Order: sequence, then C-alpha cells, then structure tokens
Amino acid sequence: MAAIATLDLLSDSYFDIIKRKIKFLLNVRFLVFKVLPMIQKSASSKILTLVKSAAAALLLPVMFIYIMIAKPDYKIMNGLAHIVLPVANVVGDVITWPVRVVGDMFDNLHELATLRSENAELRVRLDDALSQQNKCHIAMAENDSLQHLMNIVNKIPQRTVIADVVHETRALHHNTFLINRGKSDGVDAGMVVVSPSNQFAGIIIDAGENFARVRSVTDSDTNIAVNIAGYEVYGFLSGNASRSPTVGLFSDPQFRSAPGLTLVTSNISGVLPHGIFVGTTKKNSYVDVLQPRTLSRVIVLQFDTESGYKK
Amino acid sequence: MKENIVNVLRKLFPFLSVVFLWRLNIPFWNPGGILAIIPIFFCTFIRPIRWFMPFGLVFCFLIDYNLATLCYWTAIYCLCYALNGFQSFIDFEHRDFNSIDMFMVYIGIGLVISELAHINWTTFGRTIWTFVWMVILYMPITKLIERVHNDR
Repeated sequence: MAAIATLDLLSDSYFDIIKRKIKFLLNVRFLVFKVLPMIQKSASSKILTLVKSAAAALLLPVMFIYIMIAKPDYKIMNGLAHIVLPVANVVGDVITWPVRVVGDMFDNLHELATLRSENAELRVRLDDALSQQNKCHIAMAENDSLQHLMNIVNKIPQRTVIADVVHETRALHHNTFLINRGKSDGVDAGMVVVSPSNQFAGIIIDAGENFARVRSVTDSDTNIAVNIAGYEVYGFLSGNASRSPTVGLFSDPQFRSAPGLTLVTSNISGVLPHGIFVGTTKKNSYVDVLQPRTLSRVIVLQFDTESGYKK
Repeated sequence: MKENIVNVLRKLFPFLSVVFLWRLNIPFWNPGGILAIIPIFFCTFIRPIRWFMPFGLVFCFLIDYNLATLCYWTAIYCLCYALNGFQSFIDFEHRDFNSIDMFMVYIGIGLVISELAHINWTTFGRTIWTFVWMVILYMPITKLIERVHNDR
C-alpha cells in the first residue's frame, strides 16, 4: 500500500512538472493578451456548447431585423418589458429593501436638515409671488378679453393625473424616468408630463399597466417645437444628454438667440399642446430647463397627438 | 433544514446579485443598473453557472429598457456568448484576476460603441467614469460571488 502511495505521489509530481512545462511553452503573449490553451472537454459537451453558441448567434439577426421593421413603437419589445419589468421590480424591491430603507433614512435626515432654510426661502418667494399676483390678475383679464375679441379658443386639459417618480434612469446619453401611473390610470404614450409648477418635464414614450416611462427634456432624443414667448418665432429644442439642451432652427433666419428669452411649447408640429413653460435661454443657445433629478412628483396632461387636449 | 436553506441561498446568490445590482440603479453610481453586467459576465463566461445564460439575457434586456438602448447590451451579450462558444483560442475561464482583462475589453467595446451614437464631452465623461467604476468594482463583486457560491 505504501509503495502504491509513493508511486502515486511520484507520478503526480512528474505530471505536474510536465504540465508546468507545457503551460510555460504555451504561455505565448499575443499582443497584450496571454493566450492559454482551452481545457479539453468531452465531445458531447463541445457539441452542446456549439449548439448554445449557435442559438445565441441566431438571436443577433433576429434582433437586427426586428429593430429595422418594428420602428418606431417596438410593440413586442415593450410588451415583453411590461411583463418582465414588474416581476423583476418586485423581486428587486424585496432584495434591496434594507439598502433602500437606509438610503431613505439618510434622505429624510437630509431633508429635515434643510427644511428650516427651505421654509425661510419659501416665505420670501411667497411674499414676492403675492405681490406679483395682482399684476397677473389684471394681465389675465386683459388677455381673456382680447382672446374673446379675436375669437381665439384655448383648450385646457380636462383631466390630469398626478404621479410619483419611481426612479430616474439617467445614464450615458439617455435620461428617462419611470412614474407609478400607467394605462390603468389613463396614461398613454405621447402624453405630456409637467412639474407641479407647470414646467415642461418630458413626454411619455412607453406606458405599462401600472407604470410609464418618460423621456425627459434633457434626453439626447428630445426634439420639440418651441415658441419664443413674446415673438412670432418658432424653433426646435434639442436634448444633448447634458443639463442644458440647445435651441435652434428658428422659423425666422434673422432671429438670434440671446440670454433671458422664455421658451414655451408650440403646437406647430401637432405633437405638443401650446404654451407650457419649457425654460429660459442662456449663452450660446443653451436653455436652462427643468432637471429631472429634482422631480419627485409630476402631472400628466391627458393630451392626444391630434393637436388637442383630451376632453 | 438550515443547511439546505444556506445551500439554496448560495446557489441563488449569483442570480440575486444580478437582481440586486439591476434594481439599485442610481444615476451616477449605477446608471440604469449597468453594474449588473459584472455578475452577468462573470457567471456566464468566467465561472459558468447552469441556466445563467437565459437569466443574463433577460437582465441585459432589462438594462437596455432602463438605458433606452433597445437591445444593444442584449446583442453584445449574445455576440460575446456566440464568439466565446465558437473559439478555442482564449480561455476565458482560467486567467488572472478573474479575467478582468476580458471584462475590460467587453465593457470597453460596449461603452465605446454606445458613446459613438452621441458624442459630446458630457457623454464622454460619463462613459469614462462608467468604465473606470465598473472595472474597480469587478474584483470585489466577483470575489464575493466566488466566496458565497463556493461550489467548485
């Protein structure tokens, strides 16, 4: 028995040395990557690997063709996401609750710490707003009478939906966020989302049963028609993934953007309702807009894409 | 009984880590839950786990949904899976530091192509940051998965 054990040890060390030698010989450096030989697998395992790889490779042209033909609404993909996302969210919520509880606690503490200073600032702003209110009332009354004289009828949204921002998914060159209202609440793709202070926040691009995804105004795919308030000039606001989108392509070629101009949405392209405050211009055609990260609650306007609010 | 539960949790740990990282998406630290690509890559290519591929596929799809990139990361995942299966030149499974070099190539190519779609300084900065942050977190996350999963 002892002799057999010694023989085993000897053969093991012998094969170890051989293995090391082979490894050393094959440790060729190709560019920067060290190339090691694959460990040989059984024939059945190799076939199974090849079949699985072929299946994965087949998915690529399928996805490519789908992207080509399903543009722009990608119904199958969004439909699949509407099933998978809520399930994954529920499982994720269960797993991450301790982290989120701690995070919420810190957020609440921070909020409490800033509450006093915020309250003082709000009081000042309230006083200022109240002093402006009377001027606004007069202007509104004049505006109403002028619109009546000119026979202009402004439609206003008949119904709005208040929603909470579930999470923001700002990443690389995209900036979207999810809200906790979906088709079951009457929310649908194409509707406009504004902040509680009635500033344009984004457009709903996909709506699930109980959630919806909003493309924020800073997203690189954002391209909306805007009107320069006080001028008969229209332009386009384009997102560029930074905090400040740019405005350009003005209807009047002579018009030049200057800091301090107010932009409101325009219904010239039939996609948005008219008159929602978007932002103010800064230097070099940049626009100061609402930052999605500051949003915790939004209002969805029940507006359809036929250039009119839903009744 | 207790041992069985512990064993089940150990087996489930790589799957749970993906869900955890995907769900814990924070714009700066984990945009769109992109950090979930680390366990997906590790458990598919470096320490393959049975039935992880379809799971990884689903979560790549969910990352794409969060990032509004259609099926970009899903396609990259499928492409890498297919290439890895067909080749016998580079052994992903037996490299130093849990094959961090291969991960850098994988994530680097993915981020660079994604950056090409919208080139500007903001997205360039975000891309660099995402790459560096993912590479930094690769070793701790993979070591943790190895420790907990501990079945080899």
